[in-house]
Amino acid sequence: MRRLIVVVAVVAVLAGLFLYGLFRGPPNRDVPSNLIGKPAPQFTLPLYERFQPKYGASFSVDAHKGTPMVINFWASWCNPCFDEAPLLERYYRQYRDRGVLFVGVQTQDRGKYDAGRQFIDRFGYTFPVGMDNDSSIGVEYALFGVPETYFVDRSGTVVYKQVGPVTPAVMDKELEAILR
Amino acid sequence: MTRAATPAARRRPPLLLTALAAALLLAGAARAQPAAAPPATTQPAAGSDVEISDRAYAIARQLRCPVCTAESVADSNAEIAGEMRLLIQQQLDAGKSKEQIVSYFRQRYGDWILLDPPKTGLHLVVWLLPLLALLGGAAALVLLVRRWRTAAETTPDAPEEDLDRVRAALRAREDDA
Repeated sequence: MRRLIVVVAVVAVLAGLFLYGLFRGPPNRDVPSNLIGKPAPQFTLPLYERFQPKYGASFSVDAHKGTPMVINFWASWCNPCFDEAPLLERYYRQYRDRGVLFVGVQTQDRGKYDAGRQFIDRFGYTFPVGMDNDSSIGVEYALFGVPETYFVDRSGTVVYKQVGPVTPAVMDKELEAILR
Repeated sequence: MTRAATPAARRRPPLLLTALAAALLLAGAARAQPAAAPPATTQPAAGSDVEISDRAYAIARQLRCPVCTAESVADSNAEIAGEMRLLIQQQLDAGKSKEQIVSYFRQRYGDWILLDPPKTGLHLVVWLLPLLALLGGAAALVLLVRRWRTAAETTPDAPEEDLDRVRAALRAREDDA
């Protein structure tokens, strides 16, 4: 009888685990980034025309050493990117005088230059935005999806990665962190 | 004297086998599950439907598509997977080895990017567990079969005079026949 109870208990536990695996829903996408605490990968991003008079034909991370940066990856087909865009612009206007630079990287969006321009116009972006046409910058930053936003401090170290759209709480906390 | 198998004992093997089968099934399911997979929104490949070599395809099959669930870079239709296939091809064309290319992606995404976990350190558990479960199941099966056979060959546990009466009855039946 005792053995029967043990066997039934083992089967019940295994069956429970099996059912948990079946019904636990979509897996968590919050994979820890390898970049946190490491130097932000260098990249050169070809900029859209409207930003070229101020920033040049392309944006280079190395050229802005010592500047706290917010690097935002987005795509023209991504709905959460539309949701967060007004917030990004608002925070850029609020923090640019304190020396924070935002940069927008359109990625996973090969050839969609017109859609990119429309996006920029729609939200009136004043920070530099360019096209990562072959998504190689996205791979350098080990992007999982869009939007994703990296916060880089004065020393050029990635201190935080936001997966999904940014929120006021994240912006307040992480912007202050990279300004320290 | 060996004890005869009781009816309860005879019912045990199917339960044990069920438990073993469930364990093997779980081990298999655990192998097939992604450790953790991402994304929110994905976009089908656009300009990246470029032919790649068999070598590039073989490397892409080892890598997990970052925006998919349990799908390789080789098989995924997501744009980022297409760009990664191109990147692999470009790196091969630049003379890089398979190990160098895999290492390039591992440095950025960590071990997560590998569809099959590396056969080192703690990851070995994932590789060895199904094998151990299989060996354990086989060993349990051999033991059970041995026990059943021993039980079948064992003299019934009954008083000698009752056994004598049974033997006599069997003899009488044979004589009648």
